[in-house]
Amino acid sequence: MKVRESVNDRIFRLVITFILVVLAIITLIPLLTVLALSFSSKAAADMNIVNLRPVGFTFASWKYILSNREIWKSFFLTVVATVSGVLLALMITSMMAYPLSKKEFKAAKILMVAALITMVFKAPIVPYFLTVKSIGLFNHPLVLVLPQILTAYNMIIMRSFFQQFPLEVEEAAMIDGAGRFRLFYQIVIPSSKAVLATVGLFYGVTIWNQFQHPMMFIQDTDLFPLQMKIRQLIGDGSELQTLASMAGINYSDRTLQAAVVVFAILPIIIVYPFLQKYFAKGAMLGSVKG
Amino acid sequence: MKAKKVMALVLAGILTVSAFAGCGENGDPKESGSKSVSENGTVELEVWNCNTGFLPCEKDSELYNFYKELTGVGIIQPYVEWNGGSNYQQQLNLKISAGEMPDLFLPVNGMEADLIKNGALLDLTDILPEKAPHLWESVPEEVWDIVRSYDPTGEGRIYGVPNVRGFTVYSGLIRQDWLDALDLEMPTTQDEFVEVLRAFKEDDPNGNGMADEIPTGGREEAKWMDHLFAMYGLAMQEGAPDWDIYDGELTYAGVTENMKDALQFIRGLYEEGLLDPETLLNDKAGWEGKINSDRVGVCYHWAESATAFSEAMKTATGTEPDWAVLPAISAPGYESFYTTKQVTGLEWVVKNTEDEAVIDAVMKVLDAYGNPDLWDDFYYGIEGMHSEKVNGKLQKKADDKGTQQNLIINPANSLADLEFKVEMFKDMEAADESRTWALDQAIRDLEEVQQYGKVVAGDGMPSSVYEGYPDILNRTLYVEYASKIITGEYDIDKFDEFVEKWYASGGEEVTKAAREWYAKTQ
Repeated sequence: MKVRESVNDRIFRLVITFILVVLAIITLIPLLTVLALSFSSKAAADMNIVNLRPVGFTFASWKYILSNREIWKSFFLTVVATVSGVLLALMITSMMAYPLSKKEFKAAKILMVAALITMVFKAPIVPYFLTVKSIGLFNHPLVLVLPQILTAYNMIIMRSFFQQFPLEVEEAAMIDGAGRFRLFYQIVIPSSKAVLATVGLFYGVTIWNQFQHPMMFIQDTDLFPLQMKIRQLIGDGSELQTLASMAGINYSDRTLQAAVVVFAILPIIIVYPFLQKYFAKGAMLGSVKG
Repeated sequence: MKAKKVMALVLAGILTVSAFAGCGENGDPKESGSKSVSENGTVELEVWNCNTGFLPCEKDSELYNFYKELTGVGIIQPYVEWNGGSNYQQQLNLKISAGEMPDLFLPVNGMEADLIKNGALLDLTDILPEKAPHLWESVPEEVWDIVRSYDPTGEGRIYGVPNVRGFTVYSGLIRQDWLDALDLEMPTTQDEFVEVLRAFKEDDPNGNGMADEIPTGGREEAKWMDHLFAMYGLAMQEGAPDWDIYDGELTYAGVTENMKDALQFIRGLYEEGLLDPETLLNDKAGWEGKINSDRVGVCYHWAESATAFSEAMKTATGTEPDWAVLPAISAPGYESFYTTKQVTGLEWVVKNTEDEAVIDAVMKVLDAYGNPDLWDDFYYGIEGMHSEKVNGKLQKKADDKGTQQNLIINPANSLADLEFKVEMFKDMEAADESRTWALDQAIRDLEEVQQYGKVVAGDGMPSSVYEGYPDILNRTLYVEYASKIITGEYDIDKFDEFVEKWYASGGEEVTKAAREWYAKTQ
């Protein structure tokens, strides 16, 4: 049965909708500007006259970017790193979070404190660099994955989710003869899709977007993840323009920059809507715990 | 309780083990000797310098062989993300703390001072004249004196090769074709200059029937409008007040009476609409967008940018502009000049080593770098990769970060003289005659602006004088007051308050350090 909305409610809803629409437009504008610039001609970019619509429409920048094999190489490297990283991260994080959510596990408290410490006090950069380097991860593709697979914050989100998991279900499974591991893999994990999606998304975005970290550890241009490759290609806009002949070239630093930025965020934008429902749910997990 | 104790013990154990592991790593003698000699006797050096996104240089790559031919040394250049210099600095620091300092590198943000104190850099005082005579000759004697003042131990030793620019590079630029269109003479006094600006604003010099002209302007933080400040004899670099002799002593240009009068003048232009109302909001793209769309009459940039501005406008609007040098115009009672700084820090320092073979190799590289006969080769790079033959003349190809290796040894920008630069432009003309009209402007402007240049007393001052006072270095206070005075938000008398605040917030100490440094160069 539908409850009739009062006039006040309607006005309220209208106002809220209006505010949200305005906010959405505000966040959309920069994206549209960049998109427009990426399809604009060099002349239009030089004159700085591109706003929301491309001026002097051309595919020149996109052609340059998409025909660049280096970019695709980095793209696939990043996809592989993200997918494998997320799987590995979910495995490790859940395996740590689950025992920590159990009261009967005596060392849980100390381990939690240990995890929290890493959250509050980050390792200083020089010892961190030397440690990772001494493990042999300098200029190694695994450096894109391994250091990211366990973060305290994500682990705590998972732990609070597991703490709410109905004890009765677990007990019933145990009575039916399931061991701890079987219980974990066959009962707990399959019923935790929401938290896995949320945390997976967190990890995914982190690994996809990571920049500072690979910048520190990767010098081999063949191993550059996408974000670093982009940085390499768009570079620092030098104050003094190059004097090489630009005849026949219809892209500039700025249009290339725009194209490459759109290229890099596209995958995340495409994935987001599908995970959004879990995302909103999962992000609340930590807070509703009684 | 018991569990806690066991845990603590385990943790302590892990800590101890990892601590020992760390020690073992550091003591490894294999790591510290990084020099390598390949089978055929070529010494290999690891070289680091600015790379804004080009490919690195690995052993036996094209650029490796190219440099080996020029210098006789194998140069390995890993890819180090520059990122405005901040990431480069971090990477370099990490490498140094791992005991893997590059053999030859560019130091950034005054990091050389600490390295010299710790004995990490090679003392070049005696070896350079002997083993790299070309370089020794190419750098003027007075510039070597400035380099001597960088020695933090006060002994005046030379620990690096400076980045030298022995001529005036910046200039006020004015649309000669606009002057011609309105039948105006090139202004020589401040009053004439203001009259020209008024004419630019009102008489439609671009002939499109709209009053869309912007007589003059600049960029955010009161940058890139030094031609206006220059009228008051102010030392300025790209909008940052510099140091010169005022009232007989080395002083920060930003706190002088000259600055007060300059701001007063600029504020007047702003009020009258002769200065772009968006001056303090323009970013690079914004301001250059206006320049390229045939709307700006007078701007300030590198003299050689006349070519780039002209060509960009031609493609964008079809108009062929003529960007001429705006003479340094003196305000009544002042002596105007365009600020020239010959030394912009160190370009190269060398890792300290006793290995004669490595020292000799480094000296070979530096000598080639300082040899004017090789500057062309270093500039044009590899034929096919960085340049191509057009009409029998080498010409640079457009930048392509996907295929070009980084030309890390670049004397054209850090050592070469005006003659070389002009020659470069003439070569470009020979290669492509259709560009002559634009390239001629750069050649003419470069030669013409020299008469207005003056080397300021703060030339070559190390950034270490600002140590502990980043806000003074970043001119936070200056930008705030200058902007507000120009836009009329603050009264001009507020300038005195700024001077007081500037001295109180560290300006006093910085001035003292700067004067101490200056005394050392005298």
